[in-house]
Amino acid sequence: MRAYLRFELRRLVRDPRLAFFSIIGPVTTYVIFSGWSAGDRLEGLGAPVAVMIGLAGYGAVAGVLMVGAAVAQERAAGWLHQLRVTPLPPGGVVAVKALTGSLTAIPPVIAVGAAASIQHHVQLPAGRWIGLLLLMWVGTVPFTLLGLAIGYGLAPQVAVPVNFLVFLVLSVLGGLLAPTAYFPGVLRDLAHALPTYRYAELGWRSAAGHPPSVSGLAVLVAWTALFAVVATWAYRRSTAGR
Amino acid sequence: MVALLGPNGAGKTTAISLMLGLAPPDTGTVTLFGGTPDDAVRAGRVGAMLQEGAFVPGATVRDLVELARALYPHPLDTDRVLTVAGLAGLAGRRLDRLSGGEAQRARFAFALAGDPDLLVLDEPAAAMDVAARRSFWTAVREYAAGGRTVLFSTHQLHEADEYADRIVVLAAGRVVADGTPAQIRAQAGVRDASSLDQAFLTLTTEKDH
Repeated sequence: MRAYLRFELRRLVRDPRLAFFSIIGPVTTYVIFSGWSAGDRLEGLGAPVAVMIGLAGYGAVAGVLMVGAAVAQERAAGWLHQLRVTPLPPGGVVAVKALTGSLTAIPPVIAVGAAASIQHHVQLPAGRWIGLLLLMWVGTVPFTLLGLAIGYGLAPQVAVPVNFLVFLVLSVLGGLLAPTAYFPGVLRDLAHALPTYRYAELGWRSAAGHPPSVSGLAVLVAWTALFAVVATWAYRRSTAGR
Repeated sequence: MVALLGPNGAGKTTAISLMLGLAPPDTGTVTLFGGTPDDAVRAGRVGAMLQEGAFVPGATVRDLVELARALYPHPLDTDRVLTVAGLAGLAGRRLDRLSGGEAQRARFAFALAGDPDLLVLDEPAAAMDVAARRSFWTAVREYAAGGRTVLFSTHQLHEADEYADRIVVLAAGRVVADGTPAQIRAQAGVRDASSLDQAFLTLTTEKDH
């Protein structure tokens, strides 16, 4: 299983699309747009920190979903069947996929964090940086499950556009790209029900020194449960019969 | 070496899927090494080269062989696997940049690397050119000569005739003949000297309706 993890991590590092969407994209966006709101207070934080966390989350969600949806291609190519005729346990394959997917959340957080500390001299105590990184990693669990649901549930021609659409809707409406403070009221209420907003909220609150909010955790847990059910169903369906 | 021979749609790939535990049988049971296919696969006694099988992008030939070696309890040497599969010069090549024949050899390497007791090859040489095909079959033979079982499916009669010790002929999902190449000829009532083609046609069309 460790060997398979190593194998998957190597592939991940060599994937230029992943670096482009999950690291270069959010860092560039940060560098260009973070200056516009620099004087505002957003989500209880100075705008440079709040926007940093939003875009780090944007990159993390992009990476995690991309890895999950790529399972659709691996299925279609027969690679997952090939693995099933080795001693590797089928559950191990899913676990490694989930883990490698969620690990892609870490580089964007570090990269956008570095951009923020250079451009706007964002400073946080070392403990808060570490806490932020851990929360932004652990918080991707629902998106890992969503990605696997898409990857196991849909054919590759469908999985890629669906994945992109889901990502765009969730990240824009969840306030990862533009903070919800600039949203009209109705959209702001909607954002608060989305996993993306609640995911970034983990980061916002921890950067401000607050523990996660109960309502935020409840929303995240509900989405996680929903995505887990869909992912399990999709996985079962894809491995039944041929 | 056992050949599973039959026209397209005879059920060769289905038979292999059942044998490997990839598909459950509608009725009956499948036994492999005295247990279920899953048990045999988990124990690392089976290596398989499936017919469908583009590889995932981003990994190299060496990554692939190393992965297979790590998954099986008594793997062969990396260099030996690469040499046997005819990939010695391609270890650093990315899987998505291999030609059709090279990719087929990489899948052979993946199936072989764990040194399984049973090697299953589903139409293994279809995309190889003549030279690659010849060295491929030489390698498969050597592998079988070391006391392992190789089961391959093909619709190339001469491959079955030339390389198999035993041929199982399938038609429309049923076994219509099972024996050495000579016995297959005899069963079909064709002379020893005639090609297996005649026996094949006789056997597979008789039972078709």
